[in-house]
Amino acid sequence: MKRWLLLLSIFWFGLAGCEEVIDVDVPVEEPRLVVDGLLRVDTSQTYVPVEVRLTRTAGFFEEIQPVTDADQVIIFLQILDENGLPSRTVVKSLTQLEEGSGVYVPDPSFDTDQRLLVSTVVENDILYTLLISWKGRRYAAQTKYVTSVPIDNLRLGDGTLFDEDETELIVRFTDDPDQDNFYVFDFGFGNFLASEDTFYKGQEFEFSYFYDEAFEPGRELQVGILGADRTFFNYMDLLIAQTEGQQGPFQTPVATVRGNVFDVTDLDNMENIDNVAQPEVFPLGYFAIVQEFTEQITIE
Amino acid sequence: MRLILRLLPALLVVLSIAAGRAQERFTLSGTVTEAKSNETLIGVSILVPELRTGAVTNEYGFYSLTLPRGTYEIVVSYLGFREVRQSITFDDSRRIDFQLEEEAEQLDEVILTEDVERLDIRKPQMSVAALSVETIKKIPVVLGEADVIKSIILLPGVTNAGESSSGFNVRGGAADQNLILLDEATIFNSSHLFGFFSVFNPDAIKDIKLYKGGIPARYGGRVSSVLDIFQKEGNSKEFHLSGGIGAVASRLLAEGPIVKDKASFLIGGRASYAHLFIPLFDLDNRAYFYDLNTKLNYQVDEKNNLFLSGYFGRDLFSINDLFVNTYGNAVFNFRWNHIFSDKLFSNLSLIYSDYYYGLELDFVGFEWDSGIQNFNVKYDLKHYLSDKLQVNYGLNNIYYVFNPGKIIPNSEESGIVEEQLTKKYANENALYVDVSHELTENLSLGYGLRVSQFNRLGQDEFYVYENNNPVDFDPFSLVYQEATPIDTINPGRGETLKKFLNFEPRISAAYALNDRTSIKASYTRMAQYLHLLSNTSSPTPLDVWTPSGPFVEPQLLDQYALGFFRNSQSGEYSFETEVFYKEVDNRIDYIDGANLIANNAIERVILNGEARAYGWELLLRKNSGSLTGWIAYTLSRSEQRTPGRELDIDNGRSGLETGINFGEWYSSPYDKTHDLTIYANYELSRRWSFNANFLYQTGQPTNYPVGQFQFEGLVVPYYGLRNQERLPDYHRLDIAATLRPTPKPNRKIQGEWVFSIYNVYNRMNAASINFRQNQDTGRNEAVRTSIFGIVPSVTYNFRF
Repeated sequence: MKRWLLLLSIFWFGLAGCEEVIDVDVPVEEPRLVVDGLLRVDTSQTYVPVEVRLTRTAGFFEEIQPVTDADQVIIFLQILDENGLPSRTVVKSLTQLEEGSGVYVPDPSFDTDQRLLVSTVVENDILYTLLISWKGRRYAAQTKYVTSVPIDNLRLGDGTLFDEDETELIVRFTDDPDQDNFYVFDFGFGNFLASEDTFYKGQEFEFSYFYDEAFEPGRELQVGILGADRTFFNYMDLLIAQTEGQQGPFQTPVATVRGNVFDVTDLDNMENIDNVAQPEVFPLGYFAIVQEFTEQITIE
Repeated sequence: MRLILRLLPALLVVLSIAAGRAQERFTLSGTVTEAKSNETLIGVSILVPELRTGAVTNEYGFYSLTLPRGTYEIVVSYLGFREVRQSITFDDSRRIDFQLEEEAEQLDEVILTEDVERLDIRKPQMSVAALSVETIKKIPVVLGEADVIKSIILLPGVTNAGESSSGFNVRGGAADQNLILLDEATIFNSSHLFGFFSVFNPDAIKDIKLYKGGIPARYGGRVSSVLDIFQKEGNSKEFHLSGGIGAVASRLLAEGPIVKDKASFLIGGRASYAHLFIPLFDLDNRAYFYDLNTKLNYQVDEKNNLFLSGYFGRDLFSINDLFVNTYGNAVFNFRWNHIFSDKLFSNLSLIYSDYYYGLELDFVGFEWDSGIQNFNVKYDLKHYLSDKLQVNYGLNNIYYVFNPGKIIPNSEESGIVEEQLTKKYANENALYVDVSHELTENLSLGYGLRVSQFNRLGQDEFYVYENNNPVDFDPFSLVYQEATPIDTINPGRGETLKKFLNFEPRISAAYALNDRTSIKASYTRMAQYLHLLSNTSSPTPLDVWTPSGPFVEPQLLDQYALGFFRNSQSGEYSFETEVFYKEVDNRIDYIDGANLIANNAIERVILNGEARAYGWELLLRKNSGSLTGWIAYTLSRSEQRTPGRELDIDNGRSGLETGINFGEWYSSPYDKTHDLTIYANYELSRRWSFNANFLYQTGQPTNYPVGQFQFEGLVVPYYGLRNQERLPDYHRLDIAATLRPTPKPNRKIQGEWVFSIYNVYNRMNAASINFRQNQDTGRNEAVRTSIFGIVPSVTYNFRF
């Protein structure tokens, strides 16, 4: 729904806006750890492509650097029984295969397979904990697997919203009627859309997405529909709002967009949950394991 | 409440005795009108120089003056009008209606100064900004469309968020804290086209007053200011047509008698040209606005006067019919003035007002309607007990219906499910007494009390939360989250969900050091029960209003002001300076990432915070001569904070919360440290006059990113504490020239040309600075958006 505001803003800029790139001195904070741990589960595959990307924040006009010297990156699986109590635990150890990339993947040098089977994820109720040690500090995040629904149909439209250089993509899917659902659409090229089913519960729902680029014929577009829980939906929604900028007088107050990864160095255990005394100490990023369905379409 | 009801008559009796104790007295009363049109005049002085006393006409042109037996010279004066002097013997109470003639008619030299703008040294009323419609029409504005709100921004203590931003901010308050009254009816959105223009057609307006502080007890319901606008009644002597043709819009206003000297009508319309600004898009887009003002006035007899007035305005945008947006206000108002006696004037108002917002998004497949309606009954009495004592009292009841939104599928194929978000209902009652009392020759007091009561009524669905707490705080992630309702109840509309009662005392005093100098002080307490849900820097038309209730407390204001006022010997110059301090409790703030649109449980994203503002205002005016104008300067600070909620074990809160912005004070979006305006009007000759205004404001608080990170290919700027940075300072100069061709003797039409240049030196003022990744280069950049560079325009106004 925030997109309405964006539409209004675009209209408002259309009315009289005049844009110019200017030099601005921005404040620069000490670097923080950023965790990009969105694991997309394709249930037609055998393994989950586990990839955790670690970077450091940088000043707005500086280069973002990868974190290549993490001491430990592990995913801790607590398999829960019917009562929600841990019955079995499994540890998956990750390492940086490609030196200097900051991308951590299941460590092949172990005797046991560190890869994560899709069947394990789908067939069990598991609480996943991501643990990272870096520069003497410990970080942790917890999540559970969230399912999604397939895309029923993908087609191109010929409409435009604001100018000719746009591509209309019409997406149709059917919402799961049994629960409140949240979805994150990945349209590629850094275009995301977060949606909740409040107004289309259980419906076959179709909407248009406008790329602000007119693609050449032959270009292939891929759309992913990712499952999300409320927290991940809120996170992505905020993230998208922060990157869109351009809101003029309709800009909403900025927020720090904290994710679900925390600095737990000074906390005894995950149950001792109180960070109020150290509100400035936090990493950024998100750890999630979600189902994704994708569809492709070629521009004619 | 019952106590007050019992006290009220007693108080009045006491006051009456105080007044009636002296020697035998007689009352002179009546109305003052303009000779040519019978239009009542507001604020005319009826002076008795011998006794150094007098009266002033009220908003319906009525006055009442009670004096001891004797013969006195009465001077009726209103600047810009010929003074009337008459010797009147007070040996019996009687009614005299005065008619004043415009001075300009008699003189070759045009002297346009407006009495309404002149300082009233002895009156306890302070913190009032008055502008005459004449002045407003002369102030240069963008695209030449004379504008009430853009004009009041030139006065001290009043700012806005820049060009094309809705509303205005008074003494560091938010836009939703202004009570905007058009013929006593509340207007919920004062802007057309996202704030490019205001909704008031200057041709239809008679009088404008903005109360920034020391607000009389007859007003209530908003904590920052009252903008009280009265429309003209219409000429009951002869038919007139006036209008204007401008660069953006044209206006036409007709007024005339229905029954000569008894009944009159006024109908005024204004419409912008369709396809405004369209060259900017070469698609099938539309953007326009229109408004219609109407008024009927019927003077039944000397004691009864009836008014019907209406306002209807709409804005419409559409882009390719994919996105259609309509919104606006509608107001309908019936009023009955009844004069019970020469000392007791009454007005009964029945008002309906409605704000509608509609949106259609074809590419998602739905329509959206939201709005607010209210039914308002007001009964106000003005009791002129003596020349030293006037008591106003009255009652008010407003019934509100809030429609937060209804979503409707716009076609058969749409997957959207129709849904009406739960409508909310409320009832607001108020009772007030307001006394203006001249204690001694030098000391006058204004004191009053408003008792307001607000009932949030039942609704179809009402969520219940665990521990009655709709917002959860996660002490680990330090994030406020929406709580999940544990139950839904269906309280009927007859039930009350929550009741609030507030006593709002108002006190002001003026001490005259001499005839030209005075010191004034005031204290105002006010309650506001409605809140505009808006977390954007400037309100958007789709913002919805929400009533106070079980989870949203009413906003409560305490304001203190102290001022020094001085007129020069000749009255040519006036100087005023005021300092103010105000605090607002329960100013709502929003949790990070709050979604306010189409949210059926708004209590889950808001927290109660507080706001404060303080400042120093200076205003030097030149009131007469061929050069008139003013210099206004304000130094101020406006802040808010929302600390963590307090320890409340009964309600399951640990007390360990960080609050919003870590609970620290932060600049509100309308914090402008320096605000300087200079306005000058020079009458060169009867044909030519020139105007200029200059504005300088500290840049608006904003945020610059303290860093950036990447997530799934998105480059995300991230921010620290709120509003730590500022946009570059805002300044610009506008000029205008008015040409009034000498009217040809055989033609009745009177015309004038207004040539204006907005932003003469083409300053690119920043409306915002956005931080983004350049799509082509992949590099991050800061982009400044400006609205208007230099804008020349021509407007033609006519009247016959």
